[in-house]
Amino acid sequence: MKKSIIVCAVFLLAAATAFAGGAQETEEKMTIKVAEQVPNLITPGAWDGQAFSLNGSIYDYLIEMDANTGELVPSLATEWDSPEGKVWTFKLRKGVKFHDGSDFTSADVKFTLERTQDPELGHLKAQDFENLEKIETPDDHTVVITLKEAAPTFNFIFTDYNMAILSSEYDYASKGESAPMGTGPFKLEKLVPKESALLVKNNNYWDSGLPKADELRIYFVPDIDSSVSLLEAGEVDIVPQISPIIKKRLESMDGFKVVSPYQESRFIALADDREPFSDNRVRLAFKYTMDPEILAKACQGTLGETIFYNETPIVNALAQYKKIPFRGRDIDKAKKLLAEAGYPDGLSVDFFYASDHPYGSDIAQTLKELSAPAGIELNLKGFPRDIYLSQHWMNGPMLLTGWGVRVDPSMLLMLAFHSEGPWNESHLDNPRIDELIEKIRGEVDPEVRQTYYDELQEIFHEEGTVINLQVPYLVGVSDAVTDYRQPVTMLPQLEYTTIK
Amino acid sequence: MEFLKRFAKRLGFTLLTILAMSVLIFFLVEIMPGDVAQTVLGQSATEESVAALRDRMGLDDPLHERYLRWAGGFIRGDLGESLYMRGVQINTIFWRKVGHSVVLALTALLFYVPLSILFGVFAGVKEGKAPDAIISFVGLATMALPEFVSGIILITVFAVGLEILPIASIIPIGENLWQNLDILVLPALSITFVMFGYVSRMQRSSMVSVMKADYIRAAILKGMPRKYVIFRHALKNALLPTITIIGMNMGWLFGGLIVVETLFGFPGLGSLTMSAIKTRDIPLIEACVLFITFIFVFATFTTDMLYAFLNPRIRYKRGDA
Amino acid sequence: MNTYLLQLKRSPRAIAGLAILLIWIFAAIAGPSLLSYSYTEMDMNNQMVAPGQEGHLLGTDALGRDVFSRIIYGSRSILTIALLTSLLSSIAGIIIGFTAGYFGGIVDTIFLRIMDILMAIPPLVLAMVVLGILGNSTIVGLTIIVSIAFTPATARVARGALLTCKSTEYVDAARIRGESHIYIMFVEILPNTIGPVIVEITARFAYSIMMIASLGFLGVGLQPPTPDWGMMVIENKSLIRAAPWTVLYPSLAIASLVIAISLFSDFVSKVMINED
Repeated sequence: MKKSIIVCAVFLLAAATAFAGGAQETEEKMTIKVAEQVPNLITPGAWDGQAFSLNGSIYDYLIEMDANTGELVPSLATEWDSPEGKVWTFKLRKGVKFHDGSDFTSADVKFTLERTQDPELGHLKAQDFENLEKIETPDDHTVVITLKEAAPTFNFIFTDYNMAILSSEYDYASKGESAPMGTGPFKLEKLVPKESALLVKNNNYWDSGLPKADELRIYFVPDIDSSVSLLEAGEVDIVPQISPIIKKRLESMDGFKVVSPYQESRFIALADDREPFSDNRVRLAFKYTMDPEILAKACQGTLGETIFYNETPIVNALAQYKKIPFRGRDIDKAKKLLAEAGYPDGLSVDFFYASDHPYGSDIAQTLKELSAPAGIELNLKGFPRDIYLSQHWMNGPMLLTGWGVRVDPSMLLMLAFHSEGPWNESHLDNPRIDELIEKIRGEVDPEVRQTYYDELQEIFHEEGTVINLQVPYLVGVSDAVTDYRQPVTMLPQLEYTTIK
Repeated sequence: MEFLKRFAKRLGFTLLTILAMSVLIFFLVEIMPGDVAQTVLGQSATEESVAALRDRMGLDDPLHERYLRWAGGFIRGDLGESLYMRGVQINTIFWRKVGHSVVLALTALLFYVPLSILFGVFAGVKEGKAPDAIISFVGLATMALPEFVSGIILITVFAVGLEILPIASIIPIGENLWQNLDILVLPALSITFVMFGYVSRMQRSSMVSVMKADYIRAAILKGMPRKYVIFRHALKNALLPTITIIGMNMGWLFGGLIVVETLFGFPGLGSLTMSAIKTRDIPLIEACVLFITFIFVFATFTTDMLYAFLNPRIRYKRGDA
Repeated sequence: MNTYLLQLKRSPRAIAGLAILLIWIFAAIAGPSLLSYSYTEMDMNNQMVAPGQEGHLLGTDALGRDVFSRIIYGSRSILTIALLTSLLSSIAGIIIGFTAGYFGGIVDTIFLRIMDILMAIPPLVLAMVVLGILGNSTIVGLTIIVSIAFTPATARVARGALLTCKSTEYVDAARIRGESHIYIMFVEILPNTIGPVIVEITARFAYSIMMIASLGFLGVGLQPPTPDWGMMVIENKSLIRAAPWTVLYPSLAIASLVIAISLFSDFVSKVMINED
């Protein structure tokens, strides 16, 4: 008996010494603590929209968006100009240094842009830059980009989260995920994968007043409930991407608030290249079973206030949006359309979605309830977000995916609705839509451009492959946080944030 | 000599088990549907990028070559590179998490071993009376509950109701687990719920049989104080089966950690396994599952040896393993 | 048979366990047709209603679905899968364990080693990895995988049971009569080992419930909107403060079912083992 006690004691002691130690901080520092759900650092260029606090703080972009006004503001580029939209001249900020001490020059911009065409990388902006004819760097702080065809809104692409400016001398292929490096307001000091990242103030940041905080601590907490428990316990200050139910809970408590910096989309994509939705009558039948009021309540919101619904890729909040009245829920009509399409006894279809993404499971289950009376049976196939995105997305007859809003809708149209778009999840192949998307990208006159947008939305309403449910992106913050900024580019601007 | 022979035999079998499990786990995980390179790069990856990654990872090599490469790495202590976080060596995450889980398991051990032995002895001594009935009912009930159910009940009482313990657990940057011991309490209690039943039942039944043994009856008849007999003589002999069951359950406990750590978001081996599965990080899944297996096999081996060492009847008995 | 009933009468715990189990079985069979709500029916005007209000006995969840109806419906899938897995894994275990034990020698040694090796991986871990990678579980898939995960353990029990009566007179008699091995194993030996086999099946039933609930909780169980109890707990975990009933009642349902089965199986094992 004594032997076993001794064995236990020795074991405990050994464990204790192995874990003891760890420095005590005494200095008063302003620290922002964020709980992010995704422990992911992907080589820039192939980000699928995650770990924004980390990526957004390490890297800078040529152009930023003002979170309050929505206007484009200078960042690494101080000014840009293009008389006809074909030749673009960017003046770069002087005296900017990368975290490794090297100077930021036009060569780095050239490297970043040319990298989009690397076939091994699979860069998500590859299509947008196919239009590139040549990049010239007349001096260290000027970049002249010549396009094959005019693109009047080309500058918007530089706000995209995948267009982080990289150093031409750094090995991103092997270090992009373990030791990311840019010119951003915070530098990565220590990364414990799947657990936490410590970022410290970049003292050489080009905007001398920023960042306001000394330190950024990012915890990778895999589930949202645990993240919010940590917020309530004061262990973290900011939890992005919370669910609407958690919003209700936080609002009922003292000391917390929920900010909704922008709306994002949930696209219900009906695949055009396979049964049953290849037949537009089936798509229409499905649309006739919708009830936006019910969907809004399933998302714990109110239609027209926090939740919006339409059947085109353009979100209601944008100037390009064309108001088309809702067709109304009509089960008889849906049944009739299904019968015409050859499904008099109804049909059953697999519906893939990310079960752990905010709104995902609730929307999926509500859609199943709504479409059942018409004889459309949805087989719900929910997967963890990473498995959904890597295995099933772009690959099923019906999908539910979260989409961020692009500042310039033509970027999204090219990405997801052009027949050659890399993220064309509904496999749409409509020559007229392709033609309109290309015209929108090349048209200089805003009024003419709007007529293309109008026609495009009408086509989508009648024969489109998408239902666009817009939900608020929600961030839970403690009352100690001031100035949490996050424009629709989705990149949080934590350099402005302070903690009381 | 017998002991050494037994030791060698068991050790050989233990190593064989680990080898066989490594083959099984590797092939099980590798034959699962889904292209690994595609998983890493996502659906929008180009053919060129998938081919390049397959080449870099050696995915087109024959299966047995890949197994040997993988197993060879394991023996050298190289767990490979994570798929989900490229450029990150699994070694850099893995051992820290294992350490956290070991501390959690030991904390649970600290809770449930004295508790269940105490109640088991008490029930055994009071065999057939009210305390025995109550203890064995409680043991049966808690043993039957899945860890997350007892965890939810504990959360409701201690975290939501009384608000004295944290629901979720993180270790602040720059600190270690020892500075955050409060995060261990609820997860360890959830494990205690389950283990209490097993151990106290075992302790009770061995206590009952020992109390009926002739030498104990004789001691009591001789007029020795009852308490003295129970603690000096009976308990000493009744502890052996209990130690065995505790040791055997160590491996099982590590499997059960997955549920507990998922519920509390505890940064240990269990939540690492869960996250590896959720992200389809094949090398990480393999490392986690093999390690859980290893713990199980090792715990069984150690218990077996300890039992043989502590029990003279086995130590000197000739016979098969 | 009467002796079993007599013993049952004398064991209030076993009666309680059996009664709760019967209530759940009744709920699973007849319950759904007696309910006033369907398990998927959403009432968006009554989201997260507290128990007892608006005609919802146990309240509603975030989508306005009746928690009571979902728990009653949920008893169907968990009882079906648990029953099937305990039967399937026991049958597979008997076939494998009997074959090994009956023939003995090298077959038995190899069998024992393989089972020992397979038992080194906890069944929950095995099932979780396979289901997690395959994704999208169905009742059939879940049943098969959990049964496979349990088989090494049941096979060992069956082998042990067979060994106790392998060398009895009636087995020898059958052998002399020239009966086939299969006949001897399943017609002569099986009825005589029925005690331990029944004990194993009832105990396995409780394990299966635990396992299926845990897999549901880990998110690798059935797909929504099937009201899987374990899944209901994890799905509503974020409501533990705002609407605790959505988490607590499914948990209590699991607890009552596993405790009931354990009480009953404890009784069964006492009766069956003591009798031998």
